[in-house]
Amino acid sequence: MKVMKKIRSFKFNNRDFIKNNSPLMAFLALFLFAMVVKGRTFFNLNNIMNILLNNSIIGIIALGMMLIIITSGIDLSVGSLLAVTGIVDVFVLNSTGSIFLSLASAIAVGSILGLFTGTLVARFAIPSFIVTLGTMRIYRSVAEYGLNGGGILATGNNNFTQISNGNVFGIPYPVLFWLVVSIVVSILVNKTAFGRHIYSVGSNSKASFLAGINVKKVLILVYVIAGVLVAIASILEASRLGSMNSSSSGTNYEMDAIAATVIGGTAMMGGKGSVVGTTFGTLTLGIINNLMNLLGMNAFWVGAVKGAIIIAAVLMQMFLNRKERN
Amino acid sequence: MERAIEMKNISKSFGKNSVLKNIDLEINRGSIHALLGENGTGKSTLMNILNGLLKPDQGTIKIFNKQYSYKNLKWKSQISFVHQELSLVNDLSVYENLFLGNEILKGGLLDKKKMIKEAQSILDQMDLKIDCKEKVANLEISSKQLVEISKSLIHKAEIIILDEPTSSLNDVEISTLFRVMKKLKEHGKTLIFISHKLNEVLQICDSFTVMRDGRAIKSGPVTEETTESQLSGYMVGKKLSMFSKELHSHSDEKTLEIKHMSKTGQFKDINMTAFRGEIVGFTGLDGDGKSELFESVTGSNYPYSGEILVNGKPINARNTSNAFLSGLTYVSRNRKENGIFKDLSVEDNLLMPIYSKLSKYGLINTRAKQIEFNEMVQDLHIKFGDENDRITSLSGGNQQKILIARALSSIPKIVILDNPTQGVDINSKFEIYSYIQKLSNLGVTFVILTNEYNEIKKLCDQIYIMYQGEIQKKLTYEELTEEKVLFYSMGGRNQDEGYEENKVL
Repeated sequence: MKVMKKIRSFKFNNRDFIKNNSPLMAFLALFLFAMVVKGRTFFNLNNIMNILLNNSIIGIIALGMMLIIITSGIDLSVGSLLAVTGIVDVFVLNSTGSIFLSLASAIAVGSILGLFTGTLVARFAIPSFIVTLGTMRIYRSVAEYGLNGGGILATGNNNFTQISNGNVFGIPYPVLFWLVVSIVVSILVNKTAFGRHIYSVGSNSKASFLAGINVKKVLILVYVIAGVLVAIASILEASRLGSMNSSSSGTNYEMDAIAATVIGGTAMMGGKGSVVGTTFGTLTLGIINNLMNLLGMNAFWVGAVKGAIIIAAVLMQMFLNRKERN
Repeated sequence: MERAIEMKNISKSFGKNSVLKNIDLEINRGSIHALLGENGTGKSTLMNILNGLLKPDQGTIKIFNKQYSYKNLKWKSQISFVHQELSLVNDLSVYENLFLGNEILKGGLLDKKKMIKEAQSILDQMDLKIDCKEKVANLEISSKQLVEISKSLIHKAEIIILDEPTSSLNDVEISTLFRVMKKLKEHGKTLIFISHKLNEVLQICDSFTVMRDGRAIKSGPVTEETTESQLSGYMVGKKLSMFSKELHSHSDEKTLEIKHMSKTGQFKDINMTAFRGEIVGFTGLDGDGKSELFESVTGSNYPYSGEILVNGKPINARNTSNAFLSGLTYVSRNRKENGIFKDLSVEDNLLMPIYSKLSKYGLINTRAKQIEFNEMVQDLHIKFGDENDRITSLSGGNQQKILIARALSSIPKIVILDNPTQGVDINSKFEIYSYIQKLSNLGVTFVILTNEYNEIKKLCDQIYIMYQGEIQKKLTYEELTEEKVLFYSMGGRNQDEGYEENKVL
C-alpha cells in the first residue's frame, strides 16, 4: 500500500535528484571521464579493485570524521592517532605473538584516546579544532619518542599480514572491512536513537539540550567511535605494510578524510551528512589519484588537483543550495 | 490625502502554488496600516514584493503617485523592512549599527564624531533613552527593536514595514514602541504594521487590510466601531468563541512542588505547588525571572538552591536529561535559536527525544515511529507536505506546534511552555489551546509562562505574577482581571482590599 503510494507520488525532478545525490553525481562524472580518457586501462577489474583497496583505510577514517563533522566538530589528530594505535598494535603483536591481543589493544587505545578528546570537547567546551590540533602534535611526539623516530616491523605472527593481504573471491579483506563498517555506521546514524541525536546536536546543540538529550554523552561517544574506526584503519595499515613508522605513518590522513567527508556533502556547520555521500567522496578522491597515476602526471600535482576538487565540490553544493532557497 | 502606496492587481505564484491572487493595497501617507492574516496567507510575499525583493507575476506598483517598474527597483530606498529577526550586530555599538554600510567618512577614515552626533539626535528625536555608544549586546530586546527602527530613519525611508514587532515585548515595552510609532506618524512616515494581536491593531492603526488564502478579503479604516471579533472573523472566515475558558477540574495529587528556590540575581525564594491536570500560569514583565526559574526547574540553569519535587520525590535538576527522565519537558520561548533543528526533517524534529523509547534491540522501530508521528500530527492539526521535508518548510505556527508535540511526545507528567503561541496565528493558537486543555484533562500538568493576558484567561487555573525575581501575587482564575495582573506585575504590593484604591496607578 505504502509502496504504491510512494511510487505514484514519485515525480522525477532533475534538480532535486542531482542536489540530493551530488556526491554520487560528481563520482559518476569523474568515473565516466576516466573511462573515456583511459578506457580499459582504467576500467578493468584489477584497477577497480586497486582503487577500492587503496582507499579503504581513508574510507574507514572518513566515516568517523563524518560523525564528528556532523556534530559541527573536526578531528585533526586522526593521522597521528593512526600512528599511535598502529604502533601499539604491532608492539603487542611482537611481544605476545597474539593477533587477538594486538587488535584488542589497538582498539582499546583508540577508544581511550577518543574518550580523552571527546571529554575535552564536551565537558570543557574547548573547540574541537584546538583540542585536536593539540592532540595531533602530542600523539605524533609520543609515537616518535617511543620508536626514536623510526619504525617497527610486524614480526610477532606471520598470519598478521593476512588481515590486509588476503581476499575472498578476489575482493581484498580491507575492502570488505570498509563495506561492513559503512553498513554498520549507516545503520547507526539512520536507525538508532543515538545516531539521530548526532544530527540534532550538530544542527542545534542548545535545542537538543533543552529537549532533554544528553548532548555531552553524544559528543563523547562520537569521538570514541571515531577513535575506534581509526584503530581499525591502523590495523589494516600495519597488516598491509607489515610495519608502522612513527614519523611517516598516517601523515596527511586527516586532510584526506576531511576532504572525502566534505566532497561527500557533509556540512562543516554540522547537522548534515550521509554514509553514502562520504563513501563516494572517498572514492572520488581515489579515482583522482588513480587517474593521475595512469596519465603519468607529475606526483607533485596530486595535491593541487585534490585541493581544487574540494573547493569545486563545496562551491557546487552551495550553488545547488542557493537554487533551492530561491 | 496623498497615497503612499498603491499596489494594483498583484499576483504571484511559486511553481504551481499561487500565493497572491489579484491583491490591491492602498495606504495613505502618514498613516499606520495594519496588515492582518494568519500564517501562510501571503503577507510576507506581498511585503517582499513591495520591498522589491520579489518580482510579481502581474500587477503595478505606485509609490507616492509615481509608477515604478521592477527593472531597476528605484523606489526601494524609500522602503525599510524591520524583520522579526533583528539584523543588528551584537558586538558593535548602537551608532555603528545605525550607520553599518552607510558610514560617514572624512578623508577616507570614519568620522565617528559626526556619526555619534547624528545617531544620538535621531534617538533623541524619538524620545528613546538609549545611549548610541552602548554595545548592542547590552540592550534589552525591545531597545534592539527600536534601534532597528531608527536604522530606517538613518536610511531616510519614508515607508517602514514592521513585521510582528511586539511578539517578544511585554506591555510596557509595547507602549514605548507605540509611542515611537506615533512619533514617526507625526513626522509624516507611513507605517505598515503586521501583527497577530488584534487589540494592538485597534489601539494604534488607522486602517487595515485582512488577507486570507492569498486574497485581500477586507480593507477599511479602523474606527470606534471596529471590534476584535470583526477582524478575527475576516481572518478565519468564521466566528470563534474567543477567550472563554472551558471549565475543568484537577485532582488533588501534587505533581510539581517548588520549595524555597533561589538563584542570585535571577529569582528568590520561590514556592509553588501544581496538581495533576492543572494549568498554572506565570506572568510578569521583562526581568521578572520566570523564564530563568523554569530553566532551572528543567535542568538548563544549574546550580540553584532550594528543592524541586516531582510527585513528592525530590529531583536533582543538574541537567536537562535528569529533568526529562523525571517527567519534565520544556519548550523555550525562542523557537529559532532554542527550538528547531533547522537541518532536519519534520519527523526528526518531532520525535528526537523519544527515539530511544521507540527503539527495539537498539534500532528505532519504523512502525512505532510512524504511529507516534501520525497521532501527534493529527492531534495538533499540523500541516506539512511530507514527514521527510525539512522543518523550515513549515510555517511558523506549524513549527511551534511541532515543538509542543515534541515536548508532549514523551508523555511527561509536567510540561513547561514558555510563550507557547509566539508568532502563531489565531487558528493555530486555538488548536494549541484546545490540545493543552485536552491533555490537562488526561492528567498532564502544565506551567504556561506568558505575557499575554488573553492566554492566561483562556487557559490557567491559578496564576502566579512575578516581579523582579519574586512571586508578587498568586491569583485564582476567579480573582483574575487584567488590571490586577498589570498592577502586580509592575510591583504593586497591596492587600486585595487596598487594591481598588490604587487602581488609578
